[in-house]
Amino acid sequence: MEFVIVFLVFAGALWLAWRRSPRLAVYAFAAGSMLAVTLYLHHATDALPLSF
Amino acid sequence: MTSRMTPRLAITLNGLALYAITAILLAAFYFQIARGELPCPLCLLQRVAFTALAFGPILAVRSGPRPFHYGLVIIAAMCGGVIAGRQILLHILPGDAGYGSVLLGYHFYTWAFLCFAAAILAAAVMLLFDAQFETEAAPHAPPYVPGLFETAAVWLVIAVALLNAGSALLECGFGTCPADPVHYELLQAFG
Repeated sequence: MEFVIVFLVFAGALWLAWRRSPRLAVYAFAAGSMLAVTLYLHHATDALPLSF
Repeated sequence: MTSRMTPRLAITLNGLALYAITAILLAAFYFQIARGELPCPLCLLQRVAFTALAFGPILAVRSGPRPFHYGLVIIAAMCGGVIAGRQILLHILPGDAGYGSVLLGYHFYTWAFLCFAAAILAAAVMLLFDAQFETEAAPHAPPYVPGLFETAAVWLVIAVALLNAGSALLECGFGTCPADPVHYELLQAFG
């Protein structure tokens, strides 16, 4: 679910950038980036066993 | 550096960059859907980074190119490179089969790392051309209106970002995404 939120935040940032709301777009970009960094720190030590 | 890099040409090149990002994300979808290779969390984070990579070019296409926009590209690409680099290092030991299939001998996280590096290089090269940032020569010129080429590029990348959100929902359901995904959690729950 966390990745759904991150993708939606960045999609929102892209849309805001297109809609000429650069300040809001940058805030959304920053929020998405902080979420992504948090997810990276959480998942970075996953073992990733091969399943295929 | 003076050059023929006009604002219009720079905007077109940023539009091309958006098409390249869309192509990369669609290629990832092809291997996910056609080959059944569900993205792991680090794989999803790399897709997030490619989505973030589109932010600078969209600003450039909408408002005209600025150094700030290329700076955003470099930041997003550096973050993506760290994530892809992490996945490379997880499988770098001799005898490790890696994660997922290969394309021309390299795993997709390796290709992602190369793409992020190329994005940093491209942004750095674009920053060499000052002419695209000069607006004083035509202060009374009408505001730039993006053409169909750039508009389609923007909407395509936004659509692919939303597709990725939908795919993540199918794969992870309403819980935490599994470290080694083998099926779509939401479809399992309702199937």
